[in-house]
Amino acid sequence: MVGLSISEQHFVKGGIAQDLRTDGRKRLTYRPIYVETGVIPQANGSARVRIGGTDVIASVKAEIGRPSSLQPDKGKVAVFIDCSPTAEPTFGGRGGEELSSELALALQRCLLGGKSGAGAGINLSLLVIKEGKVCWDLYIDGLVISSDGNLLDALGAAIKAALANTAIPKVNVSTEVADNEQPEIDISDEEYQQFDTSGVPVIVTLTKVGTHYIADATAEEESQMSSAVSISVNRSGHICGLTKRGGSGLDPSVILDMISVAKHVSETLMNKLDSEISAAEACEDES
Amino acid sequence: MVMRKLELPLSQTQKVRFQTAIERLQSPAEGHGTSEVDDELLATVCGVVVRVDKLVYVRTLRARYKPQVGDIVVGRVIEVAQTRWRVDLNFTQDSFINMHDDNVQKRRTSVDELNMRNIFAEDDVVCAEVGEFHKDGSLILRVRSQKHGKLDKGQLLKVDPYLVKRIKPQFHYIESLGIDLILGCNGFIWVGEHGHVRDPMTKNTRKEQSHTPLETRQTICRIGNAIQVLSNLGFTMTLEVIMETFKLSNTRNIDIHDMLGSEFHVLVTENEAERRHG
Repeated sequence: MVGLSISEQHFVKGGIAQDLRTDGRKRLTYRPIYVETGVIPQANGSARVRIGGTDVIASVKAEIGRPSSLQPDKGKVAVFIDCSPTAEPTFGGRGGEELSSELALALQRCLLGGKSGAGAGINLSLLVIKEGKVCWDLYIDGLVISSDGNLLDALGAAIKAALANTAIPKVNVSTEVADNEQPEIDISDEEYQQFDTSGVPVIVTLTKVGTHYIADATAEEESQMSSAVSISVNRSGHICGLTKRGGSGLDPSVILDMISVAKHVSETLMNKLDSEISAAEACEDES
Repeated sequence: MVMRKLELPLSQTQKVRFQTAIERLQSPAEGHGTSEVDDELLATVCGVVVRVDKLVYVRTLRARYKPQVGDIVVGRVIEVAQTRWRVDLNFTQDSFINMHDDNVQKRRTSVDELNMRNIFAEDDVVCAEVGEFHKDGSLILRVRSQKHGKLDKGQLLKVDPYLVKRIKPQFHYIESLGIDLILGCNGFIWVGEHGHVRDPMTKNTRKEQSHTPLETRQTICRIGNAIQVLSNLGFTMTLEVIMETFKLSNTRNIDIHDMLGSEFHVLVTENEAERRHG
C-alpha cells in the first residue's frame, strides 16, 4: 500500500513516541471532519464524510419487506461496503473485496449489536409497520472514494450522518386482514418520519504503533501498525462493539486501557460529529 | 496571427474572397486539451491556453510532471533492477538512476550489482537532477553533486507540480532552524533535519536510532503544514512564501495542527492579498 523508506518509518514512529505526529497532531487528536448530507437524491438518506484525505459516502435505502419469523417485531438492516478503485489501484477487480467485507463485518458488529438485534444502535422495533407482516428493510451502502487511513471511523461517522438524514415515508396499513394474508399498504408521499439517531454509536479506532497507540491514523501511520482496536461507543459512554485487526496480540491490560481512552476520545468526537451533522442539515435545508 | 494591413484597392467580391482565404490560413491547429464543438474550438481541460504560431493547446494545471533537463527532482525508488534503480517522479514514464553514474559508483562489477540495495533500496527517497531523455521517452536521472542522493530524517510532501516553479536554488538550508528544504520540480517537497543527505558512496553500515529532537520535529511539522496549506490554496511554493507562512503561524501562536484548520487558511490568504497589493 504505502511505501515508506526505513528512515521515514523511523521518523513516523519517532513522532508518535514524542507525541507529535507528522501533521502536527497529538496522539489522540482527530483530523478535521467535514460532513455533507443529502448527497444522493435517490436515497432515503445519504452523507459524505471527509476526514483529512479519507473520503467516504454512505447511503440509506429503505424498502418494504417481511420481518424474519424469528424476530417478528423487528425490522432488518444490512450493511454493504464497497471500496472504489479510485481510492487505490489495488481495489480494482476483486482486490478490494477482502477489505470491503472486513469493514462491513466490523460495522455490523459495531452498529447492529448481536444476532438477536439486541443492543443495536438503531432501534429496530421502530422499523416494524405491522408485526410479523410488514417492516422496513434498511440497506446501508458505504463507498470509499479516497483512502488515507482510518476508514472504519469515517464510515461509521458517514452512516450516522446518513441515518440522521434519512426520512422514511409514513405507511398506512389496512387493519382488517386475515392471519395468513399480507395486508394492503399505502405509502404516503407527503408525510415522513425521521430517525432518532442519538443512540447510534461512533467508532473510535486506536492503532498501536510501537509502544503507543494513536487515534485517527493516516495511511502512512497505518502501514506501521502492529494491531488496531476499533471500539464503538454510544452517547451514554457504553461500549457497543469491539473489533481487533492486525496480526500481533495485545495484553488484556492494554485493551482495557484502550477502551477507557476510546471512551474519553469518543465524547469529543461525538460532539464534533453531531454539530457537523446539524450544520450540514441546516446547510442542506437552505439550498 | 496579426492580420497584415494591405494597401490594395479591392472590390467587394475580392474582399470577401480574400478574407475567407485568410481565415482558412489562420484556422488554428487543435493541440492537446482542445476539441472542436459546433465549429468552435473549446478547451477540454482546465489550464492555461498556449499559442505557438497556429497551434493552440492547453497546458493543464493538475497534470503529471513534465521534466526538463537540469531540473532538481525528489523521487521515490520503486524498483532495484539489474544495473539501475527505477524512480517514481509523478511523470508519465519511468525514470532511472543508472548504476554507473559517476557519483554513485566508480566501477561496475557484478559484486556491486548484488550490493545495490546498500546504496538505494526500494521506497527510499532520493534527490537527483534530470539528466537526459531516452529514445523511448523515459528519463535518466543523475546523482552528481554531494547534495544529491538519499534523503532521511524528514518528511516528503506531495503537491501539484505546477505549484513549484523552476527557480534556482531549489536546495535551501534554513540555518536558523537547522532545516533542509528541497523544492523538487516534480512537486515532491522534502523537509528534513539538516546535514543528512548522505554521500551515496558511504554504506549505511551503522543504523542510526536516535530520534529527531522535539524542537526540530516541531519546525519540520510546521513547515510541512505551511506547505500543505499553500498547496490547498493553490499558491506557488517559494522559500519566501513558505517561510512567511511559517512565521505567520508562529507569530499568531497557532498550534501546529490547527494550521490545517479553516481559520489559518483564511489568514494566509489575507496575508497573501496584502503582500500582492500592499
